[in-house]
Amino acid sequence: MAIILGNLTLWLSLLFSISQFISLKKNKNRSIISISVVGLLISSISSFLILIYSYLVSNFSILNVFQNSHTTKPLIYKLSAAWGNHEGSMLLWIVVLTLFNFLIYKLLNKKNSIFILKTLEVQIVIIIGFILFTIITSNPFKEVFPVPDNGLGFNPILQDPALAIHPPLLYIGYVGFSAVFSMSVATLILSDNQKFSWHSYMRPFVLLSWTFLSSGIALGSLWAYYELGWGGWWFWDPVENASFMPWLLGTALLHSLIVVQKKRSLQAWVLLLGILTFLLSVIGTFLVRSGILTSVHTFALDPSRGIYILILTIFLGSYSLYLFATRSKSFLDKNYFSFFSKEGSILINNIFMIIVCGIVFLGTIYPLLIEALTNNKISVGKPYFNSTVIPIIIPVILIMGVAPIMSWGKSEKLNFLKKTIPCITITLFMSALFFLIYRSFSIIGILGIIVGFWIISNNIIILIKKDKSHSLGMIISHLGIGLIILGITGSSVWQQEKIAKMNIKNEIEIEKYNIIFDKINEVRGENFIALQGDFLVYDNKKNIVTKLKPENRFYPITNIFTSEVYIHTNLIRDLYIVLGEGNSKDGWTVKIYYNPLVIWIWIGAIFLFFGGIIATKHNLRKSKNYI
Amino acid sequence: MKKKILILPLVVFLLILLTFSYLLVIDRNPQEIPSNLINKKIPNFEANFLFKDKKFIFPEELENKIILVNFFATWCKPCRDEHAYIKNFSEQEEITVIGINYKDDPKKTIKWLNNLGNPYRHVLLDKTGKIAIEWGVYGIPETFVVNSNGIIKYRQAGPVTKKIYKKINLLIKEIK
Amino acid sequence: MISKKFILLIIFFSSIQLFTNNSFSVDPDEILENKKLEMRARIISKNTRCLVCQNQSIDESNSPLAKDLRKIIRKKLLEGKNDDEIYSFLTDRYGDFILLKPSLKLNTIALWFLPFFFLLIGLFIIFYHNKKSKKN
Repeated sequence: MAIILGNLTLWLSLLFSISQFISLKKNKNRSIISISVVGLLISSISSFLILIYSYLVSNFSILNVFQNSHTTKPLIYKLSAAWGNHEGSMLLWIVVLTLFNFLIYKLLNKKNSIFILKTLEVQIVIIIGFILFTIITSNPFKEVFPVPDNGLGFNPILQDPALAIHPPLLYIGYVGFSAVFSMSVATLILSDNQKFSWHSYMRPFVLLSWTFLSSGIALGSLWAYYELGWGGWWFWDPVENASFMPWLLGTALLHSLIVVQKKRSLQAWVLLLGILTFLLSVIGTFLVRSGILTSVHTFALDPSRGIYILILTIFLGSYSLYLFATRSKSFLDKNYFSFFSKEGSILINNIFMIIVCGIVFLGTIYPLLIEALTNNKISVGKPYFNSTVIPIIIPVILIMGVAPIMSWGKSEKLNFLKKTIPCITITLFMSALFFLIYRSFSIIGILGIIVGFWIISNNIIILIKKDKSHSLGMIISHLGIGLIILGITGSSVWQQEKIAKMNIKNEIEIEKYNIIFDKINEVRGENFIALQGDFLVYDNKKNIVTKLKPENRFYPITNIFTSEVYIHTNLIRDLYIVLGEGNSKDGWTVKIYYNPLVIWIWIGAIFLFFGGIIATKHNLRKSKNYI
Repeated sequence: MKKKILILPLVVFLLILLTFSYLLVIDRNPQEIPSNLINKKIPNFEANFLFKDKKFIFPEELENKIILVNFFATWCKPCRDEHAYIKNFSEQEEITVIGINYKDDPKKTIKWLNNLGNPYRHVLLDKTGKIAIEWGVYGIPETFVVNSNGIIKYRQAGPVTKKIYKKINLLIKEIK
Repeated sequence: MISKKFILLIIFFSSIQLFTNNSFSVDPDEILENKKLEMRARIISKNTRCLVCQNQSIDESNSPLAKDLRKIIRKKLLEGKNDDEIYSFLTDRYGDFILLKPSLKLNTIALWFLPFFFLLIGLFIIFYHNKKSKKN
């Protein structure tokens, strides 16, 4: 029953999207377009809900549910299993695509009809492409017969709250940029008739998608941090890079849009970025789902999927970039920016962000290029990215501190220096205080802390001055970045690690803590049994700070062992402990990390999210005037 | 100048996607690592025989034949699956098949070989896995084809399947 | 009270090798006494790819092959070999694929050079802009 309904809604979605396309191309009949847009949204959401429902009731007659779920899974993870697999996630892609299609449609009015209708045309082509992809290569509503009693379960390390929300947030980001892509392409197609303020329409979509993309990435990192047991939160894995690149471009786009609106400059550049951001999302999807490379994240490998997505990517990319090559001439301008201006700083930041994006892209696809050209396999891993990206990010951050307080057009250098003196003072003061407490010096560490405080102090001063010309959203987001930098610096540069074999009642020292292995317990969960270690943590005054309880779990259904990290967090540091193999006779392998300032990464990410939401709301309110 | 730059994104995009297309179309396994020892001489190593109380030293103990070196273990299921093909190889006059028993219990190996049949001219022991590392082995089973001059010509990572069996036979004919 | 079931549980966990996705990395009995050598071992390990994992270094991985390689690296450090010799040992047997930080070779020149090239172009654009803006 669900299979019939599921397939029906999928085909309905295809039908509605085709009808939207045809009416946009031919008669532009508003009623038909309206019915198509709404019908498409409803059928795609229904499709998704039918799949989710099938998971919730454990309907194993559906192959997808059988492959990815199990009756013993806690309810919320049955839910997240629906979108955590390849086919289910494609339904989510389609839902977000059709949602943004709807949002674009909602903007339609008499003044902007040519532009919005053209945008809808581009958007619907993308939608048709992805619905066809899903139906042909990734249909979740396939039957399995005879109906099995139970499912194949799902990797327990993927049963996690952060990982459950990570895909929806990430996809709203990734896929939301499709609307920006459609607008860029529409603008280029209509380039002969430039009388509409296309960038004003783009901005709320860029803001919204960027906000969700940032949160999606942050959640993914948070999950990796507390789940994988490696004490780290970013590994330059190809799939991580695939989400980071659209984020970099999206951030560049966000800022250059401001320049377009204020100075009517950089328009061609913004159009290109609008195309590239979504294009990179699609290329990222290709890399991850085609089986062309291996990564911790890749979905099941299937070459037919790869070929289809490749064709779709080539089509979307060639068409849009060809349009750009031939039609962006009319958007070029002869404005040049000096260093000491807001638009100059934004340009500089943009360029550096593109450079970082280029390096990440190069590193990610280089092994593939070499393999194609020389039949040799090489690896490009974490060390490469760290040594190339980090030096370049530092000037970006430095400029990020000053750009908001610069004025449009050339600044008087003396005046500018006067403005920055309070910031420089506060920064030096906070940094000095920091190093007085920590007494640990390393060049990267010093740079990171100074740069972090530089941004925070700059923005706090702006906040205090209550300058209305600075948007609250921007201040909060930038503060977020400052906090994230503090967190990243602290946890990378001053991380301490101790590995030891411990018997019960043994003690180990890390930083100023004494940690005693108290005992081992048995613990039962909903679908696992576990050995849990009790570790008592004492500070240097012999007061007890906390009890750490890492576990080793066994999930009988899927025959998987996992190690559950235990983390005790406060504003200064994380105490992060992993219980390894062992027994009562020889003792247990225990790994402990002292991670300074980690929590500020997540706090900063929350700031980023709220800053983005505030900026989006603010922008929508302002834009109501002229769109 | 500026106008010509505008075509750059399209060109770069097409070049990169062309590369991806090529990689998708050819027959490749992204998980597989090519051996670095192809066309190089066999690594030097020492090992104990399973059935004799001697040490085996390359390359002196080799007769001038084509050699198949097969890394195997009793705890490895794909090794059991490919065993029939290894036996077939051993029945060919021109090939000497040498087995290297990886991280195993000699008693279990003897039993295993008694049960399934022993295709190996010699069985060597690699209890610690060091010999495997000398050969650049990263998984079990792996099979190397060595010509009569002691040069490694081919490495199969994973079990020998029908397809691979044919491929190796063709290769052996060529080497002769 | 320690129940019989609990003891069985401990035996169960201790007798099965933990083939998990969650990695454990260096075992305490691998750690070298000499802190400098141990630090070098960790850095080299972080730069060596685990060949049977998805995109991890042997420093992070739990797999037996990773452990073997970690041990060999430490043995060679104790023998007094320098970093290059150890990397050569690995690449002679496993090829360049095993290095996570690609060495500078003919086929990686573009990889290491292009970032500089991007930076130069970026700086050029910035300075060009600044210069031209002064003329207005």
